[in-house]
Amino acid sequence: MPKYILDFAATPDNLPVIRYFVQEHLKAHLSDPVRVNQLTVATEELCANSIVHGNHSDPSQKLRLELRIEKQRLHIYLYDPAPPYDLHKYPFPPKLLRKDTNRPGGLGIYLIRQLMDKITVRRRGQQSVYHLVKNLA
Amino acid sequence: METQITLSPNADTLNVAISGELDSLSAPRLYDQLSQAIKDQPNIKKIVFECQNLSYISSAGAGILLLSLDNFGHRGIDFELRKVRPEVYNILDLLGLTKVMSVSNA
Repeated sequence: MPKYILDFAATPDNLPVIRYFVQEHLKAHLSDPVRVNQLTVATEELCANSIVHGNHSDPSQKLRLELRIEKQRLHIYLYDPAPPYDLHKYPFPPKLLRKDTNRPGGLGIYLIRQLMDKITVRRRGQQSVYHLVKNLA
Repeated sequence: METQITLSPNADTLNVAISGELDSLSAPRLYDQLSQAIKDQPNIKKIVFECQNLSYISSAGAGILLLSLDNFGHRGIDFELRKVRPEVYNILDLLGLTKVMSVSNA
């Protein structure tokens, strides 16, 4: 049961680090580059939301990303000290341009919901635990 | 991988070669460069993005393309993305960008 862990500070500068971490580990298990990319994008979008919106890009806040592959399923866990946000509350599909800001909004969460089979979040102790699942079979 | 954005005006067309990754760190730079180029050359009628070396796009990168289309499209500027890799095309397609601008596969 392969399990990979990355600890990182809540700064957008770490997004490429997260991306390469996911890409490198998934490449060892998946041959389709489109699929590897989809799962990389979903993971990065999840982490980006937590870094920017949950933790306000405060590098003193520490998060943990964990990838597990079990029985043809990829499990992505994100342990985040910030309060949880509901990934299901945003419009689906997103408005390409939000009327209030005239900027694109909700695209990242839309991608997560499009690309993953199951998304849950719960509070455990002092952490929010996001759990994303993708069937790899 | 460092993102490189190279703008080459040619008559009323602005060619934009992007290599590397278009994400929340690099996307604002693309928007700034496009804004400046259009300000400097108001006769631009078309922006062609050469994407064969664009290896990754996040929602922030796609969002900047949408924002650019919205802001500059009003001026009658057409957008075209050429030679987009399958991984990047897939994300653009999921977000609906392939329906609002011309996007061709590598």
